[in-house]
Amino acid sequence: MTWQDFKTHYLVRFWAPLPAVLAAGVLSAYYFGITGTFWAVTGEFTRWGGHLLQLAGYHPETWGYFQLIHLEGTPLTRIDGVMIIGMFAGCLSAALWANNVKLRLPRHRIRIVQALAGGIIAGFGARLAMGCNLAAFFTGIPQFSLHAWFFALATAAGSYFGARFTLLPMFRLPVKLQKIDQAMPLQQDANQARHRFRLGMLIFFAFMAWAVSQSFSAPKLGLAALFGLAFGLLIERAQICFTSAFRDLWITGRSQMAKAIILGMAVSAIGIYSYIQLGAAPKIMWAGPNAVLGGLMFGFGIVLAGGCETGWMYRAVEGQVHFWWVGIGNIIGATLLAVCWDDIAPVVATNFDKVNLLAVFGPQGGLLLTYLMLAMSFGAILLWERRFFASKASARTAPAPNPA
Amino acid sequence: MNKPSLIPSYRLDMTGEPCPYPAVATLEAMPNLSHGEILEVVTDCPQSINSIPLDARNHGYEVLDIQQDGPTIRYLIRR
Repeated sequence: MTWQDFKTHYLVRFWAPLPAVLAAGVLSAYYFGITGTFWAVTGEFTRWGGHLLQLAGYHPETWGYFQLIHLEGTPLTRIDGVMIIGMFAGCLSAALWANNVKLRLPRHRIRIVQALAGGIIAGFGARLAMGCNLAAFFTGIPQFSLHAWFFALATAAGSYFGARFTLLPMFRLPVKLQKIDQAMPLQQDANQARHRFRLGMLIFFAFMAWAVSQSFSAPKLGLAALFGLAFGLLIERAQICFTSAFRDLWITGRSQMAKAIILGMAVSAIGIYSYIQLGAAPKIMWAGPNAVLGGLMFGFGIVLAGGCETGWMYRAVEGQVHFWWVGIGNIIGATLLAVCWDDIAPVVATNFDKVNLLAVFGPQGGLLLTYLMLAMSFGAILLWERRFFASKASARTAPAPNPA
Repeated sequence: MNKPSLIPSYRLDMTGEPCPYPAVATLEAMPNLSHGEILEVVTDCPQSINSIPLDARNHGYEVLDIQQDGPTIRYLIRR
């Protein structure tokens, strides 16, 4: 294999989602074993909001929510912080390798409105439930925390309403089907592609060198940064989209991403289990109404916005301006939740139990139950898919309505 | 693949539009074609790589070609 072949096949072309999600599942288990925390992003986004409030002269460090998630240090001294910087570096490298960075401007103002509003709703809901598509779903379910199951089911329901809402006529820009007699010529600037590739390599290796150098003085920080780099490569290259996993079940009947994510959690759960058996403390959150309400808001918000808390990260560095607004919305929403947390927490969250399935059903029972519920979710998706296309087929064979 | 024989009859230019709109518009456009006609979908939404080809096949259309050229992706889909 020549270098050109290698580059085209592995660095420029998109990766298949299933192996990438499985890799993310395995890596996130190792990440937990090494750092003691789970792969998560919204907690750190909320801290960024906290730092901005500090700059503006407020004292968010005295609020209950920031005492809960800790506001000490800077992004560079926190595991979540360097991991997220790594994710951005990974996303940017991967996007540059494929010459996939382009300033993509929204076609209409309504897109900015929905990006910002959806981002705020999703950010608020995610932090209400103490996690997003990661900590309350993809890395939360493998922690055997019951709240993640509440959140996942509520997110599925919320995304259904989000899908209905997002396809309302007010969000549909007129699309013109043009009659043509030849294909549109596609040509990228070869010089630009070459320069971008080199820049991507420079960012990739520079970040890696920095992370490795950090790992000698602060092993957890350095390794977390490297994991972030890998997570970033995976989500951009394979375009891993948790929003589409939920939304497209309802809109087009596509289930590929949802199935991949369930399998990713299945490979992760056994790894997390082994670390817990060795003595690591699992991350368990309140299984209260907050997880359900948060999931409903999150599911609705991510579909309206078009991307979740990890989805906006790679799309933002690809130059999709729409997702800059989603990211800003997420941070605003998460910070708003922190503002009102002390008033609502006793009612919806802190008076409820933190339910650890491994403690309630015993280690083997909790593990079995988790795999049983994952298998049932997979089966439910297969049934839904069959029903979706069966009703499509019967609609096609039904007599056509009279043209008006 | 014999590229020159793939002459699309219609084009759907979804440049600038984010998910799910490119995939939804593609599925809505296809029934407007006659059987055997080819639709060219042009988009710069990278996510479409995981949506448009699968959706088109799932809904009974034939994906003839996917061309990725920098940020722009083109799909040729036959009804």
